[in-house]
Amino acid sequence: MKESMKKISVLLAITALWAGSAVAEDHPIVLGIPVGLSGANSVVAPSVIQATELAVSEINDTGGLLNRKLVVEVADDASGAAGAQKAYDSLVFQKKVDAIIAMETTAARNAGLPIITRGQIPYIYTSFYEGSSCNKYQHIDAWVPQQMVSLMVDYFMKDHGAKTFFLVGSDYAFGRGLLGDTNKYIAEKGGTLVGEEYNPMDATDWTAIVSKIRATNPDAIITSTAAGAPNVTFTKQLRSAGITANYGSYALDEGTAKTLGPDAEGIYLGGTYYTGIESEKNAQFLKALHAKFGEKTETPNELSVPQYDAVHLYALAVKKAGTTDTDAVVKALSEVTFDGPRGPVKMSKQRHAPLTMYLAQVNAQGDTKIIGSYANVDPGEQCPNL
Amino acid sequence: MVPVLLDLITTAAILYIVSSGLLLVFGVMKLINFAHGGLMTLGGYAAVIATAMGLNPWIGIPLAAIFGGIVGLGMERVVVRSLYNRPLDAILATWGLSIIIGQIITLVFDRGVHFAEPPIRGVISVLGEPYSTYRLILTALALLLGLGLTAALRGTSLGLSTRAVIMNEDLARGLGINSGLVRSITFTLGSGLAAVAGALITPLSSVDPNMGVAWLISAFMLVLVSGSSLFSLAVASVVLGGAQVVVSNYFGSVLGGMTIAVLAAVILRIRPQGFSYE
Repeated sequence: MKESMKKISVLLAITALWAGSAVAEDHPIVLGIPVGLSGANSVVAPSVIQATELAVSEINDTGGLLNRKLVVEVADDASGAAGAQKAYDSLVFQKKVDAIIAMETTAARNAGLPIITRGQIPYIYTSFYEGSSCNKYQHIDAWVPQQMVSLMVDYFMKDHGAKTFFLVGSDYAFGRGLLGDTNKYIAEKGGTLVGEEYNPMDATDWTAIVSKIRATNPDAIITSTAAGAPNVTFTKQLRSAGITANYGSYALDEGTAKTLGPDAEGIYLGGTYYTGIESEKNAQFLKALHAKFGEKTETPNELSVPQYDAVHLYALAVKKAGTTDTDAVVKALSEVTFDGPRGPVKMSKQRHAPLTMYLAQVNAQGDTKIIGSYANVDPGEQCPNL
Repeated sequence: MVPVLLDLITTAAILYIVSSGLLLVFGVMKLINFAHGGLMTLGGYAAVIATAMGLNPWIGIPLAAIFGGIVGLGMERVVVRSLYNRPLDAILATWGLSIIIGQIITLVFDRGVHFAEPPIRGVISVLGEPYSTYRLILTALALLLGLGLTAALRGTSLGLSTRAVIMNEDLARGLGINSGLVRSITFTLGSGLAAVAGALITPLSSVDPNMGVAWLISAFMLVLVSGSSLFSLAVASVVLGGAQVVVSNYFGSVLGGMTIAVLAAVILRIRPQGFSYE
C-alpha cells in the first residue's frame, strides 16, 4: 500500500513538473507570415523570411515578449488571391496566430483582409502599394505613391531642368495607379507629359514603346514596371536603342540593377531602403543578418526591411499594451516607434507611416549609390475614416 | 516612318529566329515541341555561363547550340520517340520536359534574373535614324538562318530524306529511308535552334527560368499558320510581327500584345492551311 502511494506521488510530481514546463513552453506568441513562396514573389520571398527570422530571434534573445517566446508560422500565398485565401484561412482559423505580418501583392492582401476582419487579429502590411487600403485591424509601414512621386519628379525638374516626361508601366493596378499619380503631379508642377504607355505584365517586347520614346525625345523617363523580368527587358531594349534620357524607376531594385550590368548605369531609383544607407542602425542590421545567415544571406531590400521593422513594431506594441489582445495591440501599433535600418518608423498617420525617402543612382559597376535623402515624408490622406 | 519600318523588319526577324526550330520539328514530326520554351531558356543560360566564364559573348551561341542539341537528343531518345503516334500525349510530355528544364535551371542558378553580356552595344545610323545595331544584326542572322536551312533541305541528301519524310513518311520508309534517324536528327536540330534563339535574344530579354515561355506562345501561333514551310514562316513572321508593331504603335502595346494570337486565330478560321501554299 505504502509502495503504491509512493509511486502515485512520484507520478503526480512528474506530471505537475511536466505540466508546469508545458505552460511556459507551449504558449508562444505566434506570428503568421503569408508570403509568395511560389509564383511572382518567390524571387523576393527568401529575403523576406530571413528578415522575419532575424527580427524574431533578436526579440527572443532579449527575453521574448511578455515572458513568452515569439514563433513564426509561414504560409505560401502563391503570390495571388486564391493562394492568399487559403493561407489566411489556415493561419487565422487553424494555426490561430496572434497577428499577421505580410509582404504580399495587392491582390493577395485584398483577398486576405476579409479573413482578418472575421478573425479579428492585428495585421501589418509591409509592401509598398497603391495606397488607401483601410481596415480596422490593418497597419502599413511601407511607402505609398504620395511619398514616392514627388521625390522623383521634383528631382528631375529641379536638378536636371526636365520639362517633358514619358511614363512607362506594366498594365496592372499598381503600375497604372502610380503613373496616374505621377501624371497629375507633373501637371501640377507645370511639366509636360509626352507619352504614357503600358505593356501587359508578361510582355517581353517593348519595341513600339521604345520607338515612341525615341520619337518624342523626353527629358526624363519614369517607369513603374512589374518587378523582375519587365524591368530588365525594358531597360535592355531601351539601352540597345541608344536612348540616354534621364531614367527613373519606381520598381527596379538594387539586386536586379546589378544583374543588368552596364545597361543599368545612371538609372535613378527611389525607395526607403538601400544597403548603402550610412547609419549605425543599418550597419548593425547588416552585420546581424550576415552573422545569422552567413553565405546564404539574401540581399536585404525594399520589401524585406519593412518586414523586419514590422516584426519589431509588433513586439513594441505588445510590450506597450502588456497583452496580445487585439484592440489594445492595434491601438499601440499607431503609437510605437521603431528605429531600424530605414530610420525611425511610426505608423501614426492614419495607419500609415511618414518615412525617410532615399533617391539613389546606379553607377557603372552596377552598384546603387544614395544621392539624396528626405526625412519624414508624409503619406498624405490615406484612411481619414479610421 | 523609317523607325516603324525598321521595327517591323527586326521584329519579324526575331520572331523568325525564335520559331524556326519549332517549325522544323513540327514539319517533320507533326508534333508541337512544347519544350521549345524550356530549350530557349537553356540557351539563355548558356549565354550567362559564357559571360560568367569571361568568354567572348558570341561564344555563348555555339555553346547554346551544343547544350540544346544534347538535351534535345536525350529527350527524343528517352521520351518523345515512344510518342510519335500520340501527338496529344507528346504535347503533354514535352510541356512536362519544359517544366523539368525550368526547375533544374532554378536549382542550379536561382529564380532571379541573371546577367549575360550582349555581343554588341550601341546604335548605327540607318537613313538618318539611329537604330539598335544588335537588332539589325539579328535581321541578318535571320536571313542567313532561313537561307542556310533551305539550302540544307534542298541541297543535301539528308535534306532530301527529310523532305520525303515531311511529304509522306510511310512511302519514304517504304523506299528505305530511315525515318527514325531523320526524326532524331530533326528533333536535335530543332532543339539546338531553340537554344540558339534563346542565347540570341538575351540582349533584349531578361534571363530567368521563365524567359522562354512568353516566346513559346508567339512561336506556336506562327507555326500553326505556317504549316511546315520555312518560307511560309517568313511570310507569317512579317505579316503577324508587322501587325503587332503597327497595332502597338497606333493602338497601344496592350492591344499589340494580343495581335499575334488574335490574328492567327482569324487566319486559321478563314484559311485553315494558313500561309502554307501546298
